[in-house]
Amino acid sequence: MEQFTPKLVGARVKRREDRRLLTGQGAYTDDHRPSGLLYAAFLRSPYAHARIVRLDPAAARSLAGVATVMTGEELARLVKPVRAGSNMRDYKTTSWPPLAVGKVRHVGEAVAVVVAESRYLAEDALEQIDVDYEPLPTVADAQAASEPQAALLHEEVGTNVLLTRQFAQGEVDAAIAGAEVRVRERFRFHRHAAICMENRGCLAEYHAGTGALTLRSATQCPGLLRDVLADLLDLPEHCVRVVAADVGGGFGAKSSLYPEELTLCAITRLLARPVKWISDRREDLLTSTQAWDEVVEAELALRADGTIVGLRAEVTTDIGAYSIYPWTATVEPVQTISFLPGPYRVPHYRGRTRGVATCKAPLGPYRGVGRPITTFVMEGLMDRAARRLGMDPVELRLRNYIREEEFPYKTPSGIVWDQASLTACMHKAREALDYEATRQWQRQAREEGRWVGIGFATYIELTGVGSAIPVSPGMPISTGTEAAFIRVDPSGTVTAAFSVAPQGQGHETALAQVVADALGVSFQDVRVICGDTAVAPHGTGTYASRSAVLAGGAAILAGRALREKTLQIAGHLLETNPADLDIQDGRIFVRGKLERGIPFREIARAAYGGLRRLPKDMEPGLEVTRFYDPYYGTASSATHVAVVEVDRETYEVKIHRYVVVEDCGRIINPLIVEGQVRGGVAQGIGAALYEEVVYDEEGQLLTGTLMDYLVPTAAELIPIEVHHLETPSPTTLGGFRGMGEGGTIGAPAAIANAVSDALSPLGIEITELPITPERLFRLMRGTNELS
Amino acid sequence: MKPSPFIYHDPTSIEEALALLQHYSGDAKVLAGGQSLMPLLNFRLSAPTALVDINRIAALSYIQQEAGQLRIGALTRQRTLEFSALVREHLPLLYEATTLVGHLPIRTRGTIGGSLAHADPAAEYPAVATVMEAELVVQGPKSQRILRPEEFFLGYLTTALASDEVLVEVRFPIPPPTSGWAFVEFARRHGDFALVGIAALLDAEGEQCRRARLATAGVGPTPVRLRAAEQILEHEGLTEQSIEAAAVRAAELVEPQSDLHASTDFRRHLTQVLTRRALRQAKARSQERQG
Ligand SMILES: Cc1cc2nc3c(=O)[nH]c(=O)nc-3n(C[C@H](O)[C@H](O)[C@H](O)COP(=O)(O)OP(=O)(O)OC[C@H]3O[C@@H](n4cnc5c(N)ncnc54)[C@H](O)[C@@H]3O)c2cc1C
Repeated sequence: MEQFTPKLVGARVKRREDRRLLTGQGAYTDDHRPSGLLYAAFLRSPYAHARIVRLDPAAARSLAGVATVMTGEELARLVKPVRAGSNMRDYKTTSWPPLAVGKVRHVGEAVAVVVAESRYLAEDALEQIDVDYEPLPTVADAQAASEPQAALLHEEVGTNVLLTRQFAQGEVDAAIAGAEVRVRERFRFHRHAAICMENRGCLAEYHAGTGALTLRSATQCPGLLRDVLADLLDLPEHCVRVVAADVGGGFGAKSSLYPEELTLCAITRLLARPVKWISDRREDLLTSTQAWDEVVEAELALRADGTIVGLRAEVTTDIGAYSIYPWTATVEPVQTISFLPGPYRVPHYRGRTRGVATCKAPLGPYRGVGRPITTFVMEGLMDRAARRLGMDPVELRLRNYIREEEFPYKTPSGIVWDQASLTACMHKAREALDYEATRQWQRQAREEGRWVGIGFATYIELTGVGSAIPVSPGMPISTGTEAAFIRVDPSGTVTAAFSVAPQGQGHETALAQVVADALGVSFQDVRVICGDTAVAPHGTGTYASRSAVLAGGAAILAGRALREKTLQIAGHLLETNPADLDIQDGRIFVRGKLERGIPFREIARAAYGGLRRLPKDMEPGLEVTRFYDPYYGTASSATHVAVVEVDRETYEVKIHRYVVVEDCGRIINPLIVEGQVRGGVAQGIGAALYEEVVYDEEGQLLTGTLMDYLVPTAAELIPIEVHHLETPSPTTLGGFRGMGEGGTIGAPAAIANAVSDALSPLGIEITELPITPERLFRLMRGTNELS
Repeated sequence: MKPSPFIYHDPTSIEEALALLQHYSGDAKVLAGGQSLMPLLNFRLSAPTALVDINRIAALSYIQQEAGQLRIGALTRQRTLEFSALVREHLPLLYEATTLVGHLPIRTRGTIGGSLAHADPAAEYPAVATVMEAELVVQGPKSQRILRPEEFFLGYLTTALASDEVLVEVRFPIPPPTSGWAFVEFARRHGDFALVGIAALLDAEGEQCRRARLATAGVGPTPVRLRAAEQILEHEGLTEQSIEAAAVRAAELVEPQSDLHASTDFRRHLTQVLTRRALRQAKARSQERQG
């Protein structure tokens, strides 16, 4: 196979989408205003768990400007409920109608929709809908929900425990019992929200003449939506188009199917008028999928020399009210036990998990899925072990990383790591930090009575997952392939269409770099279109750190195929053996004889110019679609280091330094990689210090505004130092590894460890995130009664 | 999140505004910078029949020095105060507090009168008005009243303003040039409402303290004057011990509420910490100005 020789790949090319996005020229869902547009507003349950005794839409229907009001029962005749299936043995799905039928299961669940001439009128009409609820006992937390006497959310399922799963290897109980050192802890990772700049929203448009349905949605997964909408709405799939043009952030929360999308599609078919719904911030906080909400009890055992002998863990995940499509309720809890051993050799392991339904917004994937908590837990245990052993935490880690010669390495849960730079990342991080000097500074600061600490976290992450394993455990649909469609226009410009659908990751730039290199044309001549199922070949979308690997791989395959055909045509026109030709910067020439050549655009014209100018029997045209399946996927890794100080009086945590050393294989664009790392770290810092979704015992959301759900802003952050290692993946085309999520994975653990290190003279260890001043205050007072 | 229907008026004179308020007898709201009122309308927590937008009343926006006071029109933007040379020179405490109000876009629209009339107990301006013993000039349909902060702030989001009255001016006495000041607060993030804020103003000579004034934000339904703590300083001077004693006393004087972000105990703890910090800073500034 011919080598992939990059030119643009690796260059710090400025993101071409930024000019549009930063100057207000982006076209988000809300920017589309087709004529005849109607606006939807949803009536949402004020109760966490209640029977709907009576719902009377008559008064609302009669208001001027109201096109329709629909209840759950009425909508159920038009749309099937969402049932997220799985092949997993001990998993039970839920039935989720787009508008509640019979009962509601969390505050904010939609019970009716008003469609009117304006959003104002629609909201006025909501106030006229009469609903009687009969409150049912609130199922407020996972522990209580799994007790036998707990009220049931889904009666037909018969239990609130929707899934249980175990991964085991070796004889973990015996190994731990016989170990010289054991550390054990109960870790709590609270509920988290994604918080995109652009709230969710969608616009559905049905064309009665053609029977075509178009859904514009702020989604990460247009391809996935198209498949499931056709099914649930009973439409032929070729009549359904889903477009995700510019989307302002996703982080996993825009990767699932939502009730509003289904509702709008059904209603536009009924009214044959376009209908739009844009979530406001309150709705977004109430209804977008949330993340984490886990308790992990874990125990790590080591020999006296620091070698890990065993690890066992029990995980309980609060998965909220419904199992989401397509990832199901298993996505977070099962990934957690799947990835817990992380970058370490753990000969004996057992992880058990259960996912429990409660009266909260459904849990979904969030940047990093499972790994932010597993890294927090595992790296927290490693630091505790280091303290117990009196060993340097860096030395302890280096002793236990999977070694270079052990790759490919199969984990206890069956995942195969192709290769990762664990030891190398740590070495470089230590050097970038100047570890010795920083410890020296810490000793001095401590003598002055300051609380300063250093925290490390290394993770290994499965990215670019192919068809060997589903992205979410047990998920019956395949997400292991992506495709590229590339067309060279007669003028020689290139259009490349992909089903991946960015929400700010810069695909239009990165994929254009890959296509330009594979084909041999200039960057300016390549235009990338993403996120429109009418233009792109079949695929799913952008999630799970997959686009560079899957779409990038498909781009290389398609680009190469066109390059080959281009050379064939050029050979014919130049009367030369195509094997002697090369393409560079949009020109084809004879190797070694630069002056003997022909512009690429001539070839393009020839390709469409009829048989006379083409080699005998060659099919005219210059376009191709290629699919790529990386099969196992590839590993990314990084080491994060945080240096923090805790204010002795206010208990505020200040970050002094933050260093990342990462290896995402061959880098397509360092600017984009660094942006992704920094954004991810910012979100990880949010998880470590600020962000927490809080429900009270009645299931009421207390963090329903951004004054109460605290996202870090630029003012809370510091410059994040990013260093790269660049070890091409041995298994993926182009050597790319996925890296969109990583920043969020390392930061919570690194900061928690740094705070524990800072407070180690007091014997305080962090077990719960976020580390708020209030929590530290209570830890200091030794009265850590969790409210 | 769209407001209920309302009738909109944008008068250009105070008289007109007052007449409109009287016309709706309690069912109209004054709209100033909108930074607190608009969210309430959008959440439909407030649904007045009419809004009386005072943004076109030019006569409500000014900063004047007169009779040992700075007189500030109620509609003056927070950002105008931030960049006013008069404010920086004569009311550095007001300047310092202003930089802590929300974020730049909020200060660009938000007004001093709106903040005081809204009376959020965690806001900076009510604490500043209280510690500086400002005069709040309230105009009714017939007459004008001048209220002290203790008379103006009645409770959580509640003031002495009647539904047909407008806050037109705030008068801040200019403190002696050698006085020291500090506004110290602790917020979860930059620009958030403070968990606790302490405003301090000291009229001192060396370690002697002629007058000490302390007021809080965020630890009660209204700003709290910490008089018993002030007295410690006035009696014992500005030593480290008396500052500590005043800080301890301050924490005893407040009755903060628990909420999502901080418990009663933590707020009380912060009151002590921040009072100490505010007093140390105010003292240092006073000494610096005394040369
Ligand atoms: C994100 C955010 C963060 C913020 N952070 C802070 C902060 O840290 N500290 C802080 O102090 N504030 C903060 N605020 C509030 C901000 O300072 C507001 O500007 C201020 O509280 C209200 O001023 P306004 O001019 O916008 O008043 P409006 O919102 O227009 O009005 C507020 C209330 O006062 C009444 N009113 C206004 N003017 C008058 C008048 N002249 N006479 C009689 N009644 C009147 C209105 O009827 C209304 O009831 C924040 C706001 C936001 C949105």
